Amino acid sequence: MEDKLIEFLLGTFPDAEEIFIEEVAPIPGGFSRETYRFDARVRWADREELLPFILRKDPPKEAAILNTSRAIEHDLIEAIRLHTTVPVSRSYGYEMDPGVFGEPAMVIARMHGNGSTSDLFNGGPDEHQVDDVVRHLCEVLVELHSADISKIDAAGVLGDPRNVGIDTSSWDRYMDSTFDYYLDSYPSMDYDPGVAIMLDSFLTLRRQKPRPMRLSLVHGDFNPANFLYANGRVTALIDWENSRIGDPREDLGWMTTMDILSNTSVMSHPRDEGGFLAYYNKLTGLDITAEEVDYFTLFGTANIAVPVQAAIARRVAGEHRQFLHLYLIQASSATIPNLARMLNYPGVS
Amino acid sequence: MNTTPSIDDLLEGLIFAISDDIIPSLGDAKAYATAAMMQSVLQEIRQLLPVFDAYLVDEHNGMTRTLRDAAAALGDASGEAADHVRERASTLGQWSDLPAPPDREATTAAHRALGEALVATMLDLDVLQRAGDTRADAALDVVRGHFGPRYLRDVATVLVGAGMLGRG
Repeated sequence: MEDKLIEFLLGTFPDAEEIFIEEVAPIPGGFSRETYRFDARVRWADREELLPFILRKDPPKEAAILNTSRAIEHDLIEAIRLHTTVPVSRSYGYEMDPGVFGEPAMVIARMHGNGSTSDLFNGGPDEHQVDDVVRHLCEVLVELHSADISKIDAAGVLGDPRNVGIDTSSWDRYMDSTFDYYLDSYPSMDYDPGVAIMLDSFLTLRRQKPRPMRLSLVHGDFNPANFLYANGRVTALIDWENSRIGDPREDLGWMTTMDILSNTSVMSHPRDEGGFLAYYNKLTGLDITAEEVDYFTLFGTANIAVPVQAAIARRVAGEHRQFLHLYLIQASSATIPNLARMLNYPGVS
Repeated sequence: MNTTPSIDDLLEGLIFAISDDIIPSLGDAKAYATAAMMQSVLQEIRQLLPVFDAYLVDEHNGMTRTLRDAAAALGDASGEAADHVRERASTLGQWSDLPAPPDREATTAAHRALGEALVATMLDLDVLQRAGDTRADAALDVVRGHFGPRYLRDVATVLVGAGMLGRG
């Protein structure tokens, strides 16, 4: 892999005289991409630098959870970096030819900051920073949701990056075409009738559309593990592969779900502002209600559940034998009581 | 509870994961041997699970019968030891036979068919709800009333620890 990385980086740094790759190591965690950290010692005629990088690689096709494009992710990250102050890693490029790294891949800068965000919660060593970090996280999200879509998505590919027929010409069309996507996908994820709560949520979402809202760029996997922090500030929002045009309430709903799954409490901070939603409303004036967040918790859960459950179904059907997908059945079950509560299941409070 | 994947599917997945993701990274001979032994024990569990309940019942009933038959074979043998054998035959040996456990495959197939019927019912109720028939709301509550406590019990049974592994 080192030789391929050198070749890739020589294309990025054409003036470099020599490049040495050091300390290549896989980064554990992250369920949808294979990630490796490495350092590149780059020697120019007049200087030498040690640059920290991450290689983000697609998993084998049959085991993939989200079939998204590294090229689109690269363009998005660079557009965010150039047109906003949202902290993101610089993307140095992508290689879509699977012959090079085994699967399509991209190379991004490795940002400073602690990625073990559980350190902020439950008596962790950085718990004293949690209010400041989450305050900044909320401000970053507000800036992302306020970004000019025409600049961020000049190529117009973020309306339907999964190529499943999503129509972002209006909020209503976006919601209706997304319901169609969820319901049409159900047979591909129905590995057991016990998954029925997902079907129930898709049908309920379609019956109970909330008030419309301006569509925004959404992160799409805004969760307690997808940021780095240092000294009370977010140093990077990471993992942009599910980013797209959508309803901004989706990110709030998904964070609510992942707070439960991750045993964290992002949504309860910053405490002096009354929590994440209250601070978000203060900054945006959108007056999003807890009921709307509940709705988009269901909606956002559905958005991730469709590809995740479909990948589990492919594993159960024997199309591949990745263990992760069996583990995800257990791990994702933690969200079911919350779904049942939001759907007003009798006996679930 | 979900019947798919089955307990056997999960155990087989563990055996595959040890082969595919763990053994290739092991450099230590003892660790390699332990991994292979773990696979062997997992395979033993796969073989035990389908027959465990049936064998338990079969052997229970066989042991009560054996206690009775052994005492009968003694005839009128006398002495303290013979009395002990007859005493066991008249107490433990009189326990009732246990019924054979239900056929797991048949039970699983029936469970799945009923689950699929509830899913189909949800879809039909949605058609009625969208047409404005509020009685379908009540009917959906009945279906949800079945699934709700069941989901809570399932989650309490399968969940391990707090938080998803590998997430920051």
